[in-house]
Amino acid sequence: MKLSVAISALALLAAAPAGIAATVPEGTKLAANQSYTFWLLDAIKSMDPQINTDVEGSDILRNLFEGLYNEGPKGELVPGVATGFDLSDDKTVYTFHLRPEAKWSDGKPVTAQDFVYAWRRLADPKTASEYAWYMELMQVKNAAAITAGEKPVEELGVKAVDDHTLEVTIETPLPYFPQMLVHGSTFPVREDVIAKYGQDWTKPGNLVGNGAYVLSQHLLGERIEMDKAPTYWDAEHTVMTHLTALTINDKNAALTRYLAGELDRVEIPAGQYPRLKKEYPDQAISSPYSCSYTYLVNLSDKGPEALKDVRVRKALSYAINRDVIVDNVLQGGQKPAYNWTHWATAGFKMPDIDYAHWTQKERTEKAKELLAEAGYGPDHPLKLTLNYNTSDDHKKIAIAVQQFWKPLGVALTLNNMEWKVHTDKMQNQDFDLARYAWCGDYNEASTYLDFFTSYSGHNNGKFLNADYDRILKESKTAADPQPLYTEAEQILADQMPLLPIYHYAKVDMVKADIKGLPTENVMQTWYGKDLYRVAK
Amino acid sequence: MIVYILKRLAIAIPTLLLLIVLSFLLMHAAPGGPFTQERGLPPEVLANLNAKYGLDQPLWRQITSYVWGIVSAFDFGPSFVYKDRSVNDIIAQGFPVTLTYGFLSFLVAVLVGVTLGAIAAVRHNTVIDYFAVGLSIGAQVLPNFVMAPILVLVFTLALHWLPGGGWRFNDPHFWVMPVIALSTSYMASIARIMRSSMLEVLTSNHIRTARAKGLSGLRIVLRHALKPALLPVISYLGPAFVAMITGSVIVDIYFSTGGIGKAFVDSALNRDYAVMMGITILVGALTILFNLVVDIIYGWIDPKIRY
Repeated sequence: MKLSVAISALALLAAAPAGIAATVPEGTKLAANQSYTFWLLDAIKSMDPQINTDVEGSDILRNLFEGLYNEGPKGELVPGVATGFDLSDDKTVYTFHLRPEAKWSDGKPVTAQDFVYAWRRLADPKTASEYAWYMELMQVKNAAAITAGEKPVEELGVKAVDDHTLEVTIETPLPYFPQMLVHGSTFPVREDVIAKYGQDWTKPGNLVGNGAYVLSQHLLGERIEMDKAPTYWDAEHTVMTHLTALTINDKNAALTRYLAGELDRVEIPAGQYPRLKKEYPDQAISSPYSCSYTYLVNLSDKGPEALKDVRVRKALSYAINRDVIVDNVLQGGQKPAYNWTHWATAGFKMPDIDYAHWTQKERTEKAKELLAEAGYGPDHPLKLTLNYNTSDDHKKIAIAVQQFWKPLGVALTLNNMEWKVHTDKMQNQDFDLARYAWCGDYNEASTYLDFFTSYSGHNNGKFLNADYDRILKESKTAADPQPLYTEAEQILADQMPLLPIYHYAKVDMVKADIKGLPTENVMQTWYGKDLYRVAK
Repeated sequence: MIVYILKRLAIAIPTLLLLIVLSFLLMHAAPGGPFTQERGLPPEVLANLNAKYGLDQPLWRQITSYVWGIVSAFDFGPSFVYKDRSVNDIIAQGFPVTLTYGFLSFLVAVLVGVTLGAIAAVRHNTVIDYFAVGLSIGAQVLPNFVMAPILVLVFTLALHWLPGGGWRFNDPHFWVMPVIALSTSYMASIARIMRSSMLEVLTSNHIRTARAKGLSGLRIVLRHALKPALLPVISYLGPAFVAMITGSVIVDIYFSTGGIGKAFVDSALNRDYAVMMGITILVGALTILFNLVVDIIYGWIDPKIRY
């Protein structure tokens, strides 16, 4: 017997129509002009769902395409092309029911075969997608073997039962599987369109999508224009008729253009939030954003001997005055971090980390003690190097940390390098300490915690801990993984393979008449179809 | 003359080849590659990418097939980073933008610079001279990354006359600030070169003769002094012209024009080998071409030079 999931076990599926498209409160007077202009830091690298790798690219994709599920204003799952799913008793076979009224922008119906094609395409070695690993992360059956070229792409665990029923088989139960379906790389694409235009299929005029908007113009590095798609199944509730994305590479220039009225939303450059909040209290907004900023410790054989001593790692972490970094350097509502997983991650219970409750004076005292025990101090300084990629903010934080460590007898050399060089060195364990930040792929703690497993491809500091691996493996099948996550965080705090620094906030200026942006969603996922502009 | 031009063009081919090979090797020597990213890719994914873009081939084969692509089909390959686009697409979109604002900047810089320099020299050590010299030094020391935000503050935020950035071919409002920001320092250099060369020419024998004949001051300057005084300016203009029409990363960043100045710098930072090679070749070829043009103009202006 199959378990019917009317209300998901995760209680993530919001009850039907609420949360779909723009929910305009009754009596709201809408503005005549329903267009929204937002900011992009960089040119969009690709508009192909299976090729895109950027957060910004995803912002565009979510408007041009639609996956099985979308995110609601609080990050909860709301139906997209899928109306619901059944889950097998062993929790490895998902059967999704697709809405028959879903249409592509050329009027053809969206079918299960379109999803099968897209998912196979993502895993296919011929596509050479940089996000092919996402299929593996989703545990879709045979994904890893297919990407490695060991199995034909037809053996991927995804199948069209009929035009509107999609069956997905995963290797092991994955409690957060439905949540991973909001990711752009799982969006459907049209085989006939890609066959016809090849690499040019994402150009305006060629691109056929199933989202609420169609692409009308794309000038690389300048602008992207999108118009409301009359074919979208919920076009009736889509209020915003036009979206424009402007690429502005300089954050201050972007802010100036916002103030000149050319944009509806921009990011506030570091340090300017307090001033703008005072001047524009209804426009400056800070809300939690699922990314975590840290200094990684190199624990591999190539790393310095001193850092293999946990007392040294703890001392370094304790001595960082995170309040100064957050309140004096960043000043945008970021939170000091004493752990790895972003504090606002759904369902995550913050572990009781001892040094989080101490005063900075206590921490610094303890740090001196530990470092002295390990044999270092002002008379016998510990020499370390911190690698960071070029950026004013990274530099400011690094200088602050250098100062925090000086009284302990740590002589920190700052080593600033270009991004690709930094990444290359980090991935080859050619560093002592390295600046790093991780952003959640989905709203669940495992997106952070998987990072430090011995089998993760991202564990650049080579932290190896059998208990940690075991807990994370166990969490995949546990009915409630949250206590295990808390336990894993506790190991990180005890072993300190990273020096957590702060949890991100999204610090933006948003025009007061724009409504429907999800300020309570830690993933900051937004959809043009949810937005509307009120009359002034 | 024709023989000379053909000779120069013949030399251009090995020069360009050398440029291609050197930039190719230097680029590959830089740490990291186009697919180096924050989230280290699983080996099988990286292998697929390298195979697709030919990066698994030995370097000599990559170079030869790259050059063959250009020679046989004028195909500069696909971008490694902007994966929906070919290098030809990227240049076709960005180059017309930089060409437009670059060419306009060139006109402004030459017209204003030459006039200012000439007037300063003719009215040597007068208030006009001091003003012109002061203006050009001011323009020279004010870098465009300082001037660009100031222009936006004044013309966009305070006066609301001009858009703060972006690019439209059909609306000159979008051209004004990029042209001012790009042309100013070139204009200052041209003015200074023009002034000193004009001063030198004005003290030469043939000008003294002209004065002795009783020619009017204006006629002496326009007819006898201007042409020889322009020579040093022209040798400066060749490379300056190429630099201007291939855009400026500062202008592209501050005014979000979508030009190739920014694309060039990005391609180096992103290790987008194909785009970087494409723009390098474009700039290289234009530089060779305009150096030749300068030499031809030299021969035309200076009767002492014959090819």
